Amino acid sequence: MSTVESPDTNAPKILIITTIASSYTGANTVGQARAQYAPNTYIMRVPDPVMFPEDFYLRCFEKGFSGIIIMSSGSDCPYEGAYGRLSARVGRVYLTMREKGIPTNRLKLTTVCTVCKHAFLKEIDDMQKVVREQAA
Amino acid sequence: MSNLEPNEPHVGVYICHCGGNISDVIDVKRVATELGLHPNVVISREFPFMCSDAGQKLVIEDIRSGKINRVVIAACSPMLHELTFRKTLQRAALNPFLYEHVNIREQASWVHKGDHEGATQKAIRLARAGVEKILLQDELEEIQAKATKHVLVIGGGPAGLKAALNMAARNLRVTLVEKSSRLGGHLHELDTLYPSGESASALLAKLLAQVNESPLITVVVGTTVTAWDGFVGNFTATLSSGATVNAGAVIMATGYDHVIPAGGEYNYGGDPRVTTLPKLIEHLKTSAGKPLVWNGVPVKSVAFIHCVGSRQTEGVHAPQADGKVNDYCSRVCCTAALHSINVLKARQPDLDIYDLYRDIRTYGRGHEAIYEQASKNGVLFFRFTEDAQPEIREHTVVVKDILTWGEEVEIPADLVVLVTGIKQGAVGELIDMMKLPVSSDRFLQEAHPKLRPVEVANNGFFLAGNCQAPMDLVESSAAAGAAASKIAALLSKDYIPLDPYVARIDSEKCTGCEACIPECSYTGALFMNEGTKKAEVNAALCKGCGACVAVCAPRALDLAGWSIAQMEAMVDAMVTEVPA
Repeated sequence: MSTVESPDTNAPKILIITTIASSYTGANTVGQARAQYAPNTYIMRVPDPVMFPEDFYLRCFEKGFSGIIIMSSGSDCPYEGAYGRLSARVGRVYLTMREKGIPTNRLKLTTVCTVCKHAFLKEIDDMQKVVREQAA
Repeated sequence: MSNLEPNEPHVGVYICHCGGNISDVIDVKRVATELGLHPNVVISREFPFMCSDAGQKLVIEDIRSGKINRVVIAACSPMLHELTFRKTLQRAALNPFLYEHVNIREQASWVHKGDHEGATQKAIRLARAGVEKILLQDELEEIQAKATKHVLVIGGGPAGLKAALNMAARNLRVTLVEKSSRLGGHLHELDTLYPSGESASALLAKLLAQVNESPLITVVVGTTVTAWDGFVGNFTATLSSGATVNAGAVIMATGYDHVIPAGGEYNYGGDPRVTTLPKLIEHLKTSAGKPLVWNGVPVKSVAFIHCVGSRQTEGVHAPQADGKVNDYCSRVCCTAALHSINVLKARQPDLDIYDLYRDIRTYGRGHEAIYEQASKNGVLFFRFTEDAQPEIREHTVVVKDILTWGEEVEIPADLVVLVTGIKQGAVGELIDMMKLPVSSDRFLQEAHPKLRPVEVANNGFFLAGNCQAPMDLVESSAAAGAAASKIAALLSKDYIPLDPYVARIDSEKCTGCEACIPECSYTGALFMNEGTKKAEVNAALCKGCGACVAVCAPRALDLAGWSIAQMEAMVDAMVTEVPA
């Protein structure tokens, strides 16, 4: 799983968008287990990422985030129809990213539940590889 | 001295050591110093335990001194102490929503132990993000909805009965609606109950007598809910009789259906020797004390096959009506089967019983003793795997037993009992009408198993019993009690406080494009005002998902407390460099 990084203020930053109902608690579960991952990861909690307009993600890239992981509640989402809408929205963001020449693997939509420790760490590991490759 | 105007946000930042949980990794003094450089931060402190009385007193005194009117606390998870600190602000007469909680423990110090510098820089950025968010925060007010002190219970099985009694005991009026002609649900089918051995009929009679005696409970049988309107505190249900019921909250106690084995599965429906556990239990009930006779033939040997209609695998089992298999465990059937086996053995000790299982899941209190008793009663257990299902032959059942290293065992069986699972009842119309969330297993979904058990994400809806997931009677009763307790708390005042985190609209910015309307899944939450030709939000119906916000090009719509501007400000703070 994730390894501890040496101090690196210039490490590419990863934004992790989490849901109050699921993945934010999942991130807490990882902490309670004292599992380790690199500190270039910034967790933002929201009721549901379906709230973000498509240009929000592009703005995050422009401002300096190298990777974004959207950890949704997936099929367990308490909001009716929200996951389908989010998924379609992210699909449209991918199209814009392609048009702008931004590698689409810098944005990942995934599902993490309240106890998904391994999934949480794996997604971070995967994105760390992507942003490092981009930085190289 | 602060150079801020009095009406500008004056932020107090508090960094918690958490007794070393945070400060052993994160340089909390440095975080406090860095945050103190922010132009809007007038106080920046670190303290050993912010959640302690002394820590909270610090915040209260700073607010009361007039120095600050916004608070950011960087500490443990907001899941633990967000409410604590909101109350702290209330005690200091400050709007409780002018506070942001930053998690630097579970999501920083605990997960970056080997990188103190990295963890400290991250904590600085996260705390700055908290400051930026709170600078853009309005004084939110709880939404208040009128509380009708009347509860609708849908479903008159044991969970519904228990829920109604629990609420009547709390002085709440209840209308109990049952679609069949009698109360009691599946309790009518059962013989003795595990683990107590109590008679199901006696228990049902007791429950019915209590319900009938209660002046606060109105029972309506042979009736369904045909239309639904309103919101928490003020629902209106129209019944098939034409009557209407006004209720402040609703308990869904709609129960379950037995899974009927798919056509031909284990020769069910074709071989009269093959039956299901519910049918065997009904037979036991009507033939009390007598040796087992099936279709007029005395039975000398019985084989039970577990996991029929549960824990199904795509490609191995026939899908259900919706095209999906039942991949969940029905939980209660293992113990129910073993309990019936013990009943059979008590009546007929020379009966040969074979139990064919994939896994035995006797999970509840006293259940394991039932399993042990079956073993002591001489029941022979055989274990099979999902890809090698037992096979029914003319007078035998053949199983590849992994307990004997995959040996193929031929078992004589006069009767084969399929231990069938349970599934969501026929409540599709209610689900569509009430817009209730459904889990991947098709059961009604609670908002959160730990944080909001027995509650539905739709405010004012609660779950009791098997409509939520397979449960035994003890668990159903506990869920009914929990739902009743939550409703008693919800309806204890004349109004219901609702989270202010709902969509809101700036009508000046709204162009009336209607792009937001189809994004909303909740009837009546977002609508076009015919007069003004602008979108409007009904705060009591809005669930706060924010789906409408994303499509609002002029940014007229926003989610209170989670505005896009706040999120963007947080992003900017997170990417801002920190001096090493």
